[in-house]
Amino acid sequence: MLKRLVFVLGAELLVAVLLAVVPMAVDNSFMLGLLTLLAIYGILLIGLDITVGYLGQVNLAQAAFLGIGAYTAGIVVSRFGFTLIPALFAATAVGCLFGRLLAFPALRLEGPQFALSTLSFMALTTTVLNELEFLTKGAEGLQVPRPPIFGFMLETKGFYWLCLIFFILVWIAMKNLLTSQWGRAFEALRDSPIATDAMGIGAHRHKAIAFTIGSGLGSLAGGLYAFSMQFLQPQVFVYELMVILLLGVVLGGRKSLWGVFVGSTIIVLLPNLLSNLLLFEIFSGIGFLFALVAGIRGMVSRTTKPFQAAAPIIAMGLLVTLGLFTSNIEDWRKAIFALMLFAVMVGLPEGLMGFASRYLAKLFRIDPLPFPEQAEISDVLIRQETDGRPLLVLQDLKKYFGGVKAIDGITISVNSGEIHGLIGPNGSGKSTVVNVISGLYAPTSGEILFHGKILVKGSLLKVAQLGISRTFQNLQIFSELPVIDNVMVAMKSIYQTSLPFVLLGLGQKSIRRAQSESLAILDMVGLRDEARTIAKDLPYGAQRLLEIARALARRPDLLILDEPAAGLSQPDVKKLLKIIRKINELGITIILIEHHMEVVSEMCHIVTVLDYGKVIAQGKPDEIKRNPAVIEAYLGFASEPEKKGTISRDAIPELS
Amino acid sequence: MDQIMVFQMMVSGAFMGLVYALVAYGFQLTYATGKSINFGQGELVMVSAFICLSLTNLGLPYGIMVLLGLLCGALLGLFVERSAVRLALEQKSEGWILLTIILGLLFFSVSENIWGRDDRPFPTPISSDAFQVFGISVTPVEISVAIGVFFIMGLIELFKRQTLLGKAFEAVSTDRDAAELMGISANRTVMLSYAISGVVAAMAGVLISPITTVGPTMASALVLKAFSVAVVAGLDSGFGVVAVGIFLGILESLTSYYIGSGWREVPGLTLLILALALRPTGIFGKAVIRKV
Amino acid sequence: MKIQLKSIAVLMLAGAAAFSACGGGKSDVIKVAITGPFTGGSAPMGASMRDGAKLAIAEINAAGGIEINGKKLKIEAIERDDEAKNERGAIICQEFVAMKDLSGVIGTVNTGVVLAGDKYLQEKGITKIITPAAGSQSMTQWLNKGDKKGPVDLSIFRFAAYDDIQAAMVIEEAINRKLTRVAFFYDSTNYGKSGFDDMVNQNKKQGDKLQVAASEKFNIGDKDMTAQLLRAKSAGAQAILIWGIGPELAAIANGMAKINLRVPLIGGWPLSMSNFVDNAGKNGDGTIMPQTFIEEPITPKAKAFIEAYHKAYNVKRIPSPVSAAQGYDAVYIFAAAVSQAQSTDTKKIKLALEDLKKPVHGVITTWLKPYTKWDPNNVASHEAFTREQVVMGMVKDGRIIFANDADRQRLIKNASAVKGKDSK
Repeated sequence: MLKRLVFVLGAELLVAVLLAVVPMAVDNSFMLGLLTLLAIYGILLIGLDITVGYLGQVNLAQAAFLGIGAYTAGIVVSRFGFTLIPALFAATAVGCLFGRLLAFPALRLEGPQFALSTLSFMALTTTVLNELEFLTKGAEGLQVPRPPIFGFMLETKGFYWLCLIFFILVWIAMKNLLTSQWGRAFEALRDSPIATDAMGIGAHRHKAIAFTIGSGLGSLAGGLYAFSMQFLQPQVFVYELMVILLLGVVLGGRKSLWGVFVGSTIIVLLPNLLSNLLLFEIFSGIGFLFALVAGIRGMVSRTTKPFQAAAPIIAMGLLVTLGLFTSNIEDWRKAIFALMLFAVMVGLPEGLMGFASRYLAKLFRIDPLPFPEQAEISDVLIRQETDGRPLLVLQDLKKYFGGVKAIDGITISVNSGEIHGLIGPNGSGKSTVVNVISGLYAPTSGEILFHGKILVKGSLLKVAQLGISRTFQNLQIFSELPVIDNVMVAMKSIYQTSLPFVLLGLGQKSIRRAQSESLAILDMVGLRDEARTIAKDLPYGAQRLLEIARALARRPDLLILDEPAAGLSQPDVKKLLKIIRKINELGITIILIEHHMEVVSEMCHIVTVLDYGKVIAQGKPDEIKRNPAVIEAYLGFASEPEKKGTISRDAIPELS
Repeated sequence: MDQIMVFQMMVSGAFMGLVYALVAYGFQLTYATGKSINFGQGELVMVSAFICLSLTNLGLPYGIMVLLGLLCGALLGLFVERSAVRLALEQKSEGWILLTIILGLLFFSVSENIWGRDDRPFPTPISSDAFQVFGISVTPVEISVAIGVFFIMGLIELFKRQTLLGKAFEAVSTDRDAAELMGISANRTVMLSYAISGVVAAMAGVLISPITTVGPTMASALVLKAFSVAVVAGLDSGFGVVAVGIFLGILESLTSYYIGSGWREVPGLTLLILALALRPTGIFGKAVIRKV
Repeated sequence: MKIQLKSIAVLMLAGAAAFSACGGGKSDVIKVAITGPFTGGSAPMGASMRDGAKLAIAEINAAGGIEINGKKLKIEAIERDDEAKNERGAIICQEFVAMKDLSGVIGTVNTGVVLAGDKYLQEKGITKIITPAAGSQSMTQWLNKGDKKGPVDLSIFRFAAYDDIQAAMVIEEAINRKLTRVAFFYDSTNYGKSGFDDMVNQNKKQGDKLQVAASEKFNIGDKDMTAQLLRAKSAGAQAILIWGIGPELAAIANGMAKINLRVPLIGGWPLSMSNFVDNAGKNGDGTIMPQTFIEEPITPKAKAFIEAYHKAYNVKRIPSPVSAAQGYDAVYIFAAAVSQAQSTDTKKIKLALEDLKKPVHGVITTWLKPYTKWDPNNVASHEAFTREQVVMGMVKDGRIIFANDADRQRLIKNASAVKGKDSK
């Protein structure tokens, strides 16, 4: 614990103090210029890392937000005589506003579409800055005087300290934000937007907030940039700058403040590195050796694919050769960026800091923060009284996809406290029923009543917030998050801390509470010892249990389990059944979708059988097993019930 | 007089629009099979054009130069697929977006150093002396663009429909998993699509170079508009890109005539963002159902 | 949370890199920084300027260097690529300021970069000769404007035919051709915009003889100028007067041919660059622009320079002859100032520059007292060029030739006259 405090906070303090005293120790305007730029780029990249690292989306608009911030600050100062702090405030506010506006279309998009929409935004911004000459003076450029701050005029040194203070403040606020439930929600969003909604967190809202914060930081950096350069032209904030910014984030390491720091250091120093051939040779040589050693080790231990091992070696090798054969490496600047980025992207996806932090943690044997004490499960999932009355009622529910009638008028009533089985052959509409109830699809017609009231349609989020929780047949765990965070994040809407408080670091109490309760839930499903494991590293069966634990963290009235036993081994199925029973004993109503007949007959109080989108039978498990219509639906022909009265498991198709 | 001017602008715009459509068509090919597009496609257009220029300077006849240029385009496409797209797709990550941007940057820098930073004229046997049709100036080069675009797109569509390999292409586009079960290698098909997409980029380079001259930045504006066309039409819209391409080309021309040439890019970019916001599958695209 | 200590190492690296970039040599050489865009769109100008300057430095060093207090010192060139980016320009100037023993700076192509960086040099009194950036603002930013007073002492000099001279010549040319209606074209860079303003002002000064048919802007990277040209055509323009910096100029010439607009094209000196001449091809023939140097060996000095350049850089044609010649002459002027000051101190060199006693034999002309003490009301005090060193060039068959043979004869005569007067 102490060691951790010394190293983590110590390193931060040390760097902060070093950065602060440099101008006093060395009187060097060049150094000061670089450091100012470092602080500004630091803020800018922290903003970019929110979208690129935490949301996992390629954001090409950050350079535009730098421009928007810079021009806003420049215009309010030169036109309206703002002083420094109000001008920075205006820049940030305008950046947030545009970020929020861009978030509207970008919200629904993923991957290439998101990248394209941000790319067009950037191109649009450059055009507008260029053309609105009455405001921005267009290509001629805008001269920006550096305004006073509280009546003082800042000289180069003072202005550097101001930038540094902003950088440190942003660093602290982001550290608070990203280690909070908000930060977890951002990461959850990246791994599975659908599950983020289904866990009541709200994918759209968080994506919008993350993007807005990132854009706001970009514009804050822009404001500082304007007062640092004192001369603005639209052609500065273009694609090329954007590529360099991405280089910083990717090279330094995504999802890490230190990574951002390293990244901005690199992009600030790189041009100087390139103006000295010897220095360049040394660094590219080190890089090459590093790639070589890592590549060979990876190949020998078979942990990396041949391509992944070889590509960085080739890329770094090309860099070294380039240095040997060209006299003016500055001409090859872009190629050097590209090769470095390529090598890191392929060989070191976590970036320099991601790699270094793992190594350093091992080297100094720094333990992670201990967990708080585990809560009592009975305090977490308080036993609910059940009255046996209908909890969820589907009335003549229909869902058509074009001409396909996935559900064709079903009426089911699920009573409070029961385990209600929902079975049927493939394509019978089971999953569609679940997706309609949970709000992924809006029904074509029909009503759903929950607690006797009409349930909202077509909104995963709102349904989840009303107390219906679900798991997914095709796993939707937050695979990059540790197991415990998977559970904690589902509690986000339960322990709400508002954003300003979080930024100030006041959310710690609720985090610890969520942590201790999550441990209790994990204990119940038998994953207590895996709390720190990254979810994607869990075995398949354990991932299914994790989904259940996560759904439980919502404290639902109704839990929908979508084929929880699919793909599980026999012992795992046994474990699962025990857990389901335990959950039911807490008074939570369960809808269980299965085609393991054993599971259904052992667990369910009542079973509904679907075929071709219609209910073909309903009743106690024993009755269902003997129902000729059910047997025909499953086996394709009517037959006498077998002696034991069970349908052979092998006869049931396993494909989901 | 003024009316003729407007028609003149529309005709010039439409010819440019065809080139946008061709590059956008290249995006469609790879999106269909690999659900990925090359963000550095503009650099492929540029590098192919430079290679063609060098081949011409070696004294090769125009026809052979074009064929070799298209071959180089295919090789470049394969290179992009192998080094930037395949690994990321296997890992199901979005890394390919960044990697294709990075490769674009690499191509840019390498050609800047090999061929220089200047724009250079591209010799062509086709005349660029304008002739008048109903008072509107049209150059034979522009007409060659139109013929070239339709020729190469028609050829590829024919290939997709009439050959076995082409049908495998269609199969993977429709349902990758099912195609794999049928013994079609999805990986190979993605490679094929990148190769054809490279050919399309090279063709765009050959067609447009006589008009725009050849230089490292020749395709950077072009590719932005091709993105717009591809997205607005829909990334699986087939010939829809031609209609949208021509429409965008005309819109752009009229914008620069009536509002000012600085605003030329604005309609395309705005349409792109609007299309993504309102109908991410595009005008001619098919709607998709979210599955879990 | 992550534990990361590498930051210390990174900081050390930062320090190391920064200091190594500053360099800490002794003052047994004369350190001159050459800066400009050596990569990117303006590279032909930047690189030609650099190469011209390096040619001069090599000649001076080959002759043993410059004698200061009885000791011959060689010139060391420090090259910095500003990538035509303002931000880089600002950082580079801060780097120059931090170099303790820097004697001076030569270069910069882009007016925006000048505006972003030069304030740092002026603040610390580092002598700089701007070449070939011609945009007026580069120097007029230091003038008294209304109640805003310019500095009384300025360490920034310019060695280029500044836009006001060039604009005057362009307007004059149009008037001499008896034109009455012209269209102004300019690119959307600082250079283009301020050149456009200069043309408008000059038109006013020369009696408003030209009616403005259209004022059209075009962007860097535009390939299709049909819209602007059609508007100019329908407004009845008899000539296109153009201010731009890049290959877009060629797109204008080609667009004019396409829409059959056969009127003269006259504009700023970048019309002489290879990316215009080559890309416009026969459409560019007859285009007229002011030049400070024409790649034609009319004088022995010019012949020697052109041959040396071709040989040193293995080219058959200088990418931007104007930039190369200006870079070359700027170094000789700077060297003369060092020699006169008998010091490598940048402030003393500045004083010497303001009062050069001996003529400097350059390739453009022989320079007699190019600069005087800075006067914040008269920009010409720190401008070397006057109308008489500038001639009109014309594009013909892929080369720039003298537009008026009279200019050519005048230069030949001047050269021989100076030679006769100055020969020992």
